[in-house]
Amino acid sequence: MDRARLIQAMADVVGPTYVISDPAELKVYETDGLTIFKATPDVVVLPKSAAEVAEVVRLCVRERVPFVPRGAGTGLSGGALALEGGVVIGLNRMNRVLEVDYGNQRAVIEPGLINIWLTNQVSQDGYYYAPDPASQTACSVGGNVAENSGGPHCLKYGVTTNHVLGLEVVLASGEIVDIGGWTPDPPGYDLTGVFVGSEGTFGIVTKVVVRLLKRPEAVKTMMLVFETIADASATVSGIIGRGIIPAAIEMMDNLSIQAVEKGTHAGYPTDAGSVLLVELDGPRAEVEALADPVIAVGRENRMREVRVAKDDTERALLWKGRKAAFAAMGQISPAYYVQDGVIPRTQLLKILGEIEALSRKYGLRVANVFHAGDGNLHPLILYDDRVEGEIEKAEAMGAETMERCIAVGGSITGEHGVGFEKRDFMPLMYSPADLEAMAKVKRVWNPDGLLNPGKIFPTSKSCVEVGAAGKPREINYKPHRIELEGKAQRF
Amino acid sequence: MSELVKTLESIVGAAHLLAGGDARRYAVDGVVPEVAAFPGSVDEVSAVLVASSKAGAAVVPWGGGVHMGLGAIPKRAEVVVGLGRLNQVLDHEPGDMTSTVQAGMVLSDYQAHLGRHGQFLSLDPPGVGRATVGGILAANASGPRRLRYGTARDLLIGLRVVNADGTVTKGGAKVVKNVTGYDMNKLYVGSLGTLGVIVEATFRLYPIPACERTWVAAFSTAVKARRVVAKILDSPLVPSALELLSETAVREVSRKIGVTSEVHGVVLAVAVASVPEAVDAQIRTAQTMAGEADEHEVLEGQVQDAFWAAVRDFDPGDESAVALKASVLLDKAGEAMEYGERLAAQHRLHLAVISEAGTGILRFYFRADEGVDRTTPLAEVVDSLRAFALQAKGSLVVLQAPVAVKERVDVWGPPGRGFAIMRGLKEQFDPGNILNPGRFVQGL
Repeated sequence: MDRARLIQAMADVVGPTYVISDPAELKVYETDGLTIFKATPDVVVLPKSAAEVAEVVRLCVRERVPFVPRGAGTGLSGGALALEGGVVIGLNRMNRVLEVDYGNQRAVIEPGLINIWLTNQVSQDGYYYAPDPASQTACSVGGNVAENSGGPHCLKYGVTTNHVLGLEVVLASGEIVDIGGWTPDPPGYDLTGVFVGSEGTFGIVTKVVVRLLKRPEAVKTMMLVFETIADASATVSGIIGRGIIPAAIEMMDNLSIQAVEKGTHAGYPTDAGSVLLVELDGPRAEVEALADPVIAVGRENRMREVRVAKDDTERALLWKGRKAAFAAMGQISPAYYVQDGVIPRTQLLKILGEIEALSRKYGLRVANVFHAGDGNLHPLILYDDRVEGEIEKAEAMGAETMERCIAVGGSITGEHGVGFEKRDFMPLMYSPADLEAMAKVKRVWNPDGLLNPGKIFPTSKSCVEVGAAGKPREINYKPHRIELEGKAQRF
Repeated sequence: MSELVKTLESIVGAAHLLAGGDARRYAVDGVVPEVAAFPGSVDEVSAVLVASSKAGAAVVPWGGGVHMGLGAIPKRAEVVVGLGRLNQVLDHEPGDMTSTVQAGMVLSDYQAHLGRHGQFLSLDPPGVGRATVGGILAANASGPRRLRYGTARDLLIGLRVVNADGTVTKGGAKVVKNVTGYDMNKLYVGSLGTLGVIVEATFRLYPIPACERTWVAAFSTAVKARRVVAKILDSPLVPSALELLSETAVREVSRKIGVTSEVHGVVLAVAVASVPEAVDAQIRTAQTMAGEADEHEVLEGQVQDAFWAAVRDFDPGDESAVALKASVLLDKAGEAMEYGERLAAQHRLHLAVISEAGTGILRFYFRADEGVDRTTPLAEVVDSLRAFALQAKGSLVVLQAPVAVKERVDVWGPPGRGFAIMRGLKEQFDPGNILNPGRFVQGL
């Protein structure tokens, strides 16, 4: 089927208003949140219902056209790129909260719903949806399901997979099925568990059944200030070593602090070597009892100062600084490349030392802002995209960072996903047999490979050859539009 | 001695193999295996699988045998692969709160090891003194504390599996947060050994709480107790466990822990773990919410441990009994308990019910009077309760039943519209259909 007929056929399904084929408009869909990679789809369709999604999929299957689901486009691994062209299925119009049931602690939502909207809707009744990726004011829950997204508070509350009980999915065949459900432990294989984190290669989510949590009785947010990263790292270990699991422990180094202060004026001490943002939540008596031990651990490690948020406003300000960290990099560097490696917590100091050494080796500055509590690093490699060869250096340094994470028993991605970006690094972590086991699972869900091709699995092809349709990679790493609009931050 | 037995003997050694009559004790639902082999390494497990695969012999992975009642009657069972010799802790890094353990390790031994560093694996399934890590994962066994800590799927961060063809693969990593590739761990939890033999597992651990106490309160009617449960669930209290015990269950638990006082009505047990002051504060709040309790007291120390062990290991200890696990909407849990009791009365069966009031999981234990064949009513009860559970957006699984009852019922119930995917997974991972054939949903 030629492109014109494909566009017409799609228009017949969703209506011409919801088919995007104009080259200028398609530009919006040529990247996701990781803007160094681009691939332009032939057409974008915006269905309104599972039935429409199914029909679009059946059409793609019949015509052997690749198709790629897409939520808000905030992903950070190139997971929503139409690498082989074809159809992008945008789920943005399916953005309703379908059902809220407090008695059963559940909500049913559509995939295009923006993460924070769910919490906004239920917070007046004392409930919330726990997974809180930093982009939660912009990212969609369907995308969160695809990536198994985390966030600062997943240290205590778990990531997306721990909060999703059931899904309605349009399979790669176009069939609509329900997997999992409202209640735990359904009989059979845990299809919901396997689906979450499959990066849009198993099916297209059209409904999500999530767990709602009761708001904790008390929250206490503290900023612990240190002269060195080493002291801050020792404090993280000390807190965990005392059997305390805060809701979040976030770390920022001096470079990050400087960028944040320039950008937000949240009151971070620009001369500090490192700060920890520690949040305790839970029953009031517990939060009160644990605050002193946390501060005591800080003191044992030469903490210079502690600031405890007195109210919600102060608390919001501390978090604003943390959440704006990525966007604030623009204050100190023309461009940056974010990594997402995970390491066992005890290796924190070692890996930070290695990253520093890499920084010297490549002559690129690195700002560290990350989820220290669970060892999920986000080194931001700063570079100047106007300088010849710096992008390549940044990428090479990123690759070495991933290798170091694996070497200490870690993982190449904690929450951003493999997508297109990291697919060729999979063999660092998994043997051919391990990858074959994953490929078996993929073959069951996506036998023809038409659904989101080119993701997760390593290729023998070089990274540069993006897309069978001959679309070259264009490297042009700039903050994503939603970052510039202040809707999202990279975390 | 068959060729296969000879081959297996050459792999594991004669001292680690039972054949013929000696293998009888490893029968599953009356299906007696030809041989039970106990490999001493992952390589040996792999070699056993290769040999069995070649011979087309059906393999039954076996941990501590605690959950062998789960599942449909096997279609075939030639080779039992016992994992008991793979019982070492491979790694425990307290600072990371992660640990890797071999599948054959008994949970209580593992907890003792982790406890030396003030940590534990937050799973409290039945039979902790016999159940192995691998068996618990394969059966997706859980206990009262899942309310706070979740189940195996939430705690397992990595695993190693021997596939049907003998290849050894891993999933996950030794980090608590990881999205590199598909989440293969989820595939094996609850798969009852039908996709591969789990040989190693890596877990996220938790610190042992500073203090734990349990508030138990008796209510004259289930309705009153349920009102309190609803209040607790809609409050910021964070109980570790929240269980409702039927009158008969209370009697059995009391007998086991040596409490003689007569309790009438249902009992609500609320476990709270935190720093001492927060435990006391939460228990006081729960007490206030439960103005209507007839009697109540706070358990701690050994009595508390004994109480929860009796709840967890509640088992009528009677092979003619039928144990069921229902999962229903939270607001249907009370009704489910009452419906079960009505069914028991109608069919002249004895019933004890333990309801995890915070998760919607209920365990029903039906039994007949001694010497009376009640196969038909027991089978009818399974069907009726399942119909109820399905109405309540849930499911009902037979945990244990006499073979005669299993022959009459579907032990798993409908697997939903994703079944074609499940079948596809089974075909991909076990094309020769040698892993526990017939025991899983729809005969997988």
